[in-house]
Amino acid sequence: MATATASRLAVLAPRQLPSAAGRRRHAPGPGFAPPRPRALSAAPRGRVLCLAAPAPAAASAGQDRLQKVPISNIRNFCIIAHIDHGKSTLADKLLELTGTVQKREMKEQFLDNMDLERERGITIKLQAARMRYVMNNEPYCLNLIDTPGHVDFSYEVSRSLAACEGALLVVDASQGVEAQTLANVYLALENNLEIIPVLNKIDLPGADPDRVAQEIEEIIGLDCSDAIRCSAKEGIGITEILDALVTKIPPPKDTSKDPLRALIFDSYYDPYRGVIVYFRVIDGTIKKGDRICFMANGKEYVADEIGVLSPNQMQVDELYAGEVGYLSASIRSVADARVGDTITHYSKKADHALPGYSEATPMVFCGLFPIDADQFEELREALEKLQLNDAALKFEPESSSAMGFGFRCGFLGLLHMEIVQERLEREYNLNLIITAPSVVYRVNCADGETVECSNPSLLPEPGKRRSIEEPYVKIEMLTPKDYIGPIMELSQDRRGEFKEMNFITESRAKVTYELPLAEMVGDFFDQLKSRSKGYASMEYSLVGYRESPLVKLDIQINGDPVEALSTIVHRDKAYSVGRALTQKLKELIPRQMFRVPIQACIGTKVIASEALSAIRKDVLSKCYGGDITRKKKLLKKQAEGKKRMKAIGRVDVPQEAFMAVLKLEKEVL
Amino acid sequence: MLRLAFPLVSHLPPRKPPPICSRPQPARRYAPSSTAAAAYTSSSSSTPPSPSLSPLPPASAYVHLPFCRKRCHYCDFPIVALGSAAASPRGKGEGEGEGADDPRIVDYVRLLLREVAATRPVSDDGVPLETVFFGGGTPSLVPPRLVAAVLDALRGRFGLSACPEVSIEMDPGTFDAARLAELVGAGVNRVSLGVQAFQEGLLRACGRAHGVEEVHEALGILASCEGLQNWSLDLISSLPNQTQEMWEESLRCAVDARPTHVSVYDLQIEKGTKFGQMYTPGVFPLPSDTESASFYKIASKRLSEAGYNHYEISSYCKPGYECKHNLTYWQNRPFYAFGLGSASYINGVRYSRPRRMKEYAEWVQHLEDGTWIHECRSPDMKDLAMDVVMLSLRTAWGLDLQSFSKSFGRSLTLSLCNIFKPFVESGLVIAMDSKRRALPHTAFELDLQNEGDFGSRVAFIRLSDPEGFLLSNELISLAFGTISP
Repeated sequence: MATATASRLAVLAPRQLPSAAGRRRHAPGPGFAPPRPRALSAAPRGRVLCLAAPAPAAASAGQDRLQKVPISNIRNFCIIAHIDHGKSTLADKLLELTGTVQKREMKEQFLDNMDLERERGITIKLQAARMRYVMNNEPYCLNLIDTPGHVDFSYEVSRSLAACEGALLVVDASQGVEAQTLANVYLALENNLEIIPVLNKIDLPGADPDRVAQEIEEIIGLDCSDAIRCSAKEGIGITEILDALVTKIPPPKDTSKDPLRALIFDSYYDPYRGVIVYFRVIDGTIKKGDRICFMANGKEYVADEIGVLSPNQMQVDELYAGEVGYLSASIRSVADARVGDTITHYSKKADHALPGYSEATPMVFCGLFPIDADQFEELREALEKLQLNDAALKFEPESSSAMGFGFRCGFLGLLHMEIVQERLEREYNLNLIITAPSVVYRVNCADGETVECSNPSLLPEPGKRRSIEEPYVKIEMLTPKDYIGPIMELSQDRRGEFKEMNFITESRAKVTYELPLAEMVGDFFDQLKSRSKGYASMEYSLVGYRESPLVKLDIQINGDPVEALSTIVHRDKAYSVGRALTQKLKELIPRQMFRVPIQACIGTKVIASEALSAIRKDVLSKCYGGDITRKKKLLKKQAEGKKRMKAIGRVDVPQEAFMAVLKLEKEVL
Repeated sequence: MLRLAFPLVSHLPPRKPPPICSRPQPARRYAPSSTAAAAYTSSSSSTPPSPSLSPLPPASAYVHLPFCRKRCHYCDFPIVALGSAAASPRGKGEGEGEGADDPRIVDYVRLLLREVAATRPVSDDGVPLETVFFGGGTPSLVPPRLVAAVLDALRGRFGLSACPEVSIEMDPGTFDAARLAELVGAGVNRVSLGVQAFQEGLLRACGRAHGVEEVHEALGILASCEGLQNWSLDLISSLPNQTQEMWEESLRCAVDARPTHVSVYDLQIEKGTKFGQMYTPGVFPLPSDTESASFYKIASKRLSEAGYNHYEISSYCKPGYECKHNLTYWQNRPFYAFGLGSASYINGVRYSRPRRMKEYAEWVQHLEDGTWIHECRSPDMKDLAMDVVMLSLRTAWGLDLQSFSKSFGRSLTLSLCNIFKPFVESGLVIAMDSKRRALPHTAFELDLQNEGDFGSRVAFIRLSDPEGFLLSNELISLAFGTISP
């Protein structure tokens, strides 16, 4: 089930919550720059373009869509929905009903182009689709700018919001408002978007649209008296939605006479055409062949090709204010066409750039090592390729005695990490070991200097540091009241500091905690889901750095430190973590020809210790009839087994032991 | 390729002078190895034989006689179970004539004779066989007359030396004095008696076709056989439900029977056997690894005390009574093999015959037709080095570093020594000088420290007894990893 898969991947890219909408905010700590994560790696859209080489029928529909309408007939909108509340199905239905995509070429959930997206039922990368809709004999151009539905990619949402005038708020009528939806609605309100509430899945037996409508009114304060009741799956209420888009969402302002200003809301790298830039024209007009300039870096290009997304790329000659489209201009790297930058004309520059986005900062780090050392170069190439499309992915070479050569990589969140890992394994056939995720610590050194550290093995020595600060997040959880207890318990376990609890309806509450990000990058979301039987949802935002009594926990095998297993933990948890790790290692390391102590240490102090007893006996006695081949085969196999292990000093440790311990670290940290 | 033949012999312990037929002479003497560090000494061993530069032709032959009354529960060898009909061949002497012989045995021996006849001797200048080994199965179930026929065929085809070692495996309950005498008369001069245990319950649990009474009876027959001085008593340790007391008892009984040789096999649980289905190694009723290791140590101690040399991982003998045939294996010398599933080692190539009777018969046919050619290729040096290491380290002689270095290079020899360094220090591996005296680990390290010095002190390495032997798989596979990284 796609939902289950997706919700397991609860790794969150942090985002900044809007300070609007009268919400209480926690002031960021001094010097805290809120990270604004940016583009996650793109779907290879070039592929889709090729796939959809237009059949005659599609072509005529496409031509129709390309016809210009007056700016007063343009509607730009996005869909805000919690995962699995039916956003993709609804988008598909809109595309179908407007004839944008012919029924026969309809793949389920058309906007999710990546296999990974469709499999997991999540949208990672936003997409756009231009539709033509005729209402009262008047043609309208509707631009749907898709937003990722998954909590982890909320940073993508703000981009689509900035390119829209309105939003459909889709809520599952059998479930209710979830934390993520809430956060995105606030973002939309902050952007002055017109919001159209849609209660989806009314065909389900458990649907209670009245209750959910009331919930929306109570929580968000939106008038739901004319909320649209629909079932995207059954095709109920789709026309009503299209009509509402036309009647409720305001058209873009007509500023086509002004100097060109187009906001880049996405870009991706196409191996044949270079970077493809997605943009919304805010002011002015852009034509094919125009000499354009990116205002942030001042670089100039010629727009070789411009077009619209419908949802495949279709070339047009020009785009006016209010329209959404793409261009290609032989741009070599996505870094040269930064999301958030403003496109203007080289010859007639706009005075001011549009407010842009700040650069995404990786928040979660881990080591990626090829299981087969020969794959190191392949891994490097694969990461470089992914980075072409994913400016948020950071990596640098790292070597470890246990793992060999690999890379220290930075991600926006754990889902980002998992997706990158999965793409590396799937699309590049690499087998990887992933170290436990770590956050960025700030170490205040004795000499007054402050250094950032995302790799536990590089933490300055205890004598050289005065204190360690770690990132904290504010986490808001929406839950049916039955699970408030277990959720509070979970939060307390993770060093959470209770902030507040509000009942949003009689039966649902919002629980707010502040806790260290490090406590959340592990299995927090899994735990939240399992302790609430899947009902609770969460949203978090960074609130700053705080000093914590953190220690570096080292693992020593036979007296040799294993850097890859070093972790930074809270002092109070060090003992239990140390015990768990040493016990697991004892289970997994095969016995050697000598006794092997396995220790967890803080500095020189051993806090947990296990010992692997020596092998007593490993002998093959009989050599029947001189047939040594079988014996030799066994010994060769044994030798092969040793080769697959990593030598920590004199001890052979199987790779699986590292993997299991790293997994355990994710769980216990 | 001439060089390739060299490692086959150069690391061997010196071959003994021509033996005297009537009474086997000690091939070499061992110091009583009561401690792990006790080294093998020999008056002749300080002067290794000059390496032969021509490949040795085989001087040994293994003959597989696969018949058993029933399959033992631990056995996964190519055997033919004859059933209870063969339960008591005692008394079936010459008097009963050919009609009484099991046709399956007769047919098989015919096949065997055809294979012998179709096998071309490796050398034309008639190097005779020094050892013949009838293994099984239970070769003692084969009528002596047929054993004699095979031996005659071998003599005719390859020649037998003036005083060859001719061994046969026998099981209690399958022979009487007359039958043994008949075998001895045919030229058999060494018996390997499969006793396995001296406890009725253990024998039954193993699915053996005999009990303790038959064991004692068989021991009596062997003791009173005039023409047979050289025999081995075979035991198995780590049997299900075996206790330390039982094991001590078995060892005591074995020593009391005064064999010239004792083989002690540690039970291996093989897939596809009854034991494989019933038991998990190390889990009750099998002894734990610790108990099983202790059985091994007890055997080493008790048998050494009784004057037996622990000359190979599972072999003990009174001075001079090593099994010469098995030494062929440990010394990586070539040997012929005949019969179902048997493995030969000729011209550097190991070949295992088909394990199923029908396929074996077809194979013999091909051999006769000349449509099966014994492959002759130069062995891979790494494989050869692994064979030499694996086989040498099973023995008390250990690995001759100088000759190994000559054959496989100094740097590989150094790497091997380096990988063993911590184990020389911990006592699992023993370094010895050219006079086979154990050296302190510091001397070994000094040798390694200065490459130019290497070999000035250390001439041999061996696994210690019993600790090193007990971990031989670990240590040998470590060496394998160095040879083939």
